[in-house]
Amino acid sequence: MDPARRLGLAQIDVVAQLGVSTVLLGGIYALIAVGLTLIFGIMRVVNFAHGEFLMLGMYLGFFAFTLLGLDPWFVLFVSIPLFFVVGALTYAVVMKGVIHASHNVQIFTTVGLSTALQNLALVLWSGDFHTVRPWHALTPVRVAGTAFNLSQVVAFVVAIGLTVLLFAFMRWTHTGRVMRATAQDREAAILMGIDTNRVYGLSFAIGIACVGAAGVLISPLYAVYPTAGLQFVLLSYVVVVLGGLGDIRGALIGSLIVAAVEVGGSYRFGTAWKEIFYFLLFIGVLVFRPAGLFGQRGAETLGV
Amino acid sequence: MARALARHWGALLVFGAAALIPIVVRDAYFLDSLVLILLWGALSAAWNVAGGYAGQVSIGHASFFGIGAYSAALLATRWQQSPWIGMLVGITLSLAAGAAIGYLSNRLKGPYFALSTIAFSQVLLIVASRWRGFTSGSEGIPVPFRPGFATLGLGHVAWVYLALVVAVLYWAVELWLEHSRFGYRLAGVREDEDAAQALGIPARRLKVIAVTASAALTSVCGTLWAQYVGFVDPFYVFSVDLSVRFALNAIIGGMGTALGPFLGSILITSLETYLRATLSGVKSGFTGIYLIVYGVVLILVVRFVPDGLAGLAARLRGRWARAHA
Repeated sequence: MDPARRLGLAQIDVVAQLGVSTVLLGGIYALIAVGLTLIFGIMRVVNFAHGEFLMLGMYLGFFAFTLLGLDPWFVLFVSIPLFFVVGALTYAVVMKGVIHASHNVQIFTTVGLSTALQNLALVLWSGDFHTVRPWHALTPVRVAGTAFNLSQVVAFVVAIGLTVLLFAFMRWTHTGRVMRATAQDREAAILMGIDTNRVYGLSFAIGIACVGAAGVLISPLYAVYPTAGLQFVLLSYVVVVLGGLGDIRGALIGSLIVAAVEVGGSYRFGTAWKEIFYFLLFIGVLVFRPAGLFGQRGAETLGV
Repeated sequence: MARALARHWGALLVFGAAALIPIVVRDAYFLDSLVLILLWGALSAAWNVAGGYAGQVSIGHASFFGIGAYSAALLATRWQQSPWIGMLVGITLSLAAGAAIGYLSNRLKGPYFALSTIAFSQVLLIVASRWRGFTSGSEGIPVPFRPGFATLGLGHVAWVYLALVVAVLYWAVELWLEHSRFGYRLAGVREDEDAAQALGIPARRLKVIAVTASAALTSVCGTLWAQYVGFVDPFYVFSVDLSVRFALNAIIGGMGTALGPFLGSILITSLETYLRATLSGVKSGFTGIYLIVYGVVLILVVRFVPDGLAGLAARLRGRWARAHA
């Protein structure tokens, strides 16, 4: 083992840095994953196009910054209602007709959407990598011997804030209760007079609003390009399956686990191999605990 | 014999035309399209064994395609072996990989199975693109062209017939699946696994066998494709887009039908060739444009014609028969 990488008292800074990295990364992953888990849990549909909405959010952040000089933090407020509408429209045009169809039809509908959006971005904006560098991406923040840039810290705070807000919405509002009721039992919800069609539309719109916001938030942190969403959406699947579908708290815990695996793996083995760890984790979870770490009611309807 | 021919007139038409065209047409561009139509059709037929007949819908079949492509390319460049040896090695590795995936993902259904296959293909992509010392990493491997059948350095006409042999073999495999005890049991598992198991059908074992066989068939085409195109790029051969493409042809033609994948391939590959010819002048990308069309076609087909062209034909025939009864 490389002596510089041995963990001991002398490396306490390293441990702190890794720990804080994990938490910051986990918060951002959580915001990407909550939208997916919401759609997954309530509509029982895996949105294979989720990463493409993240990518669109990143491009929104990029264009607002380079063309209009708008800070991503400001664009965030615009992006949430904007992506809510995008989500609602996508539901009405694409998803509504297949909500009662077979798994295969649903899988390939969202896969088709993913392919179309990804390549639309490629044709419109080319495959070039873009970066967004507002002032806060260059401002270091030092905490307990660790250093991060301000964009990262604020992205974390906002991501956690939005996730908690969504959790509170689902838990304590009437609409949230209606959505959870639909997730638990579609037929019973219909019998109680719930307009499930509206619930699905709303879930999809909220899910897309979350991931759009996440895209804008991370635009100063990662390169913006047409397939940028792929790596994030793949790890969101890991998060969602780990945490249990439809479970917002589970998504938070799952995000932290995935972030820990990524941070630890890239520290020990180098960043080139970091993705392989969460894919192996993913395969492991799917094989051994497909219902998630905490077990999940309703998983059987997805055929697990 | 005559009855068998009459029953399979569609296949006879498709494969017969493919066999006759090289005699009449000598245009390299046209023959190239024909080879690709047959190869893509065979690949979708291979996917169809797992996805269509066993109901194990994979979006990670690029894994086996890549294994086949890399096996032959690496053996040829590093150990000067014939691609036929590479094909055998690819088959062996794909059998192992297919059995492993089939076994590990056995409990998973629908989107969960699809996700696990994507994860597997991503693991292989990372290994192939990062293990620079062995696979040349993300630069990919140029496959040397050495003329001769043993080295698969063939002309266009020979390629057409080679691809045609593979296509007809795969079609025959699927025909067998439609009329054999094994195939009936597989259909039972696909339609209702619990009921099939209650009848004593070893559902899990059958699914593993189907995925494994499908993996090996995909791998063979991966080897052929790499030799035909002459270059192996990890980001292409292990991509999700490629896996989607295998599924796309089968879905458009009709999942779980023998001729469906080939019908889908004729439509999609011709569309691609046509768009390549007409849009080649457009700046950033014809690639993007035809993939947008793919995506939209996929959404429309699963929504409005979920049983594909073959299903549509069967329905029209049924209506015609009723009208004339």
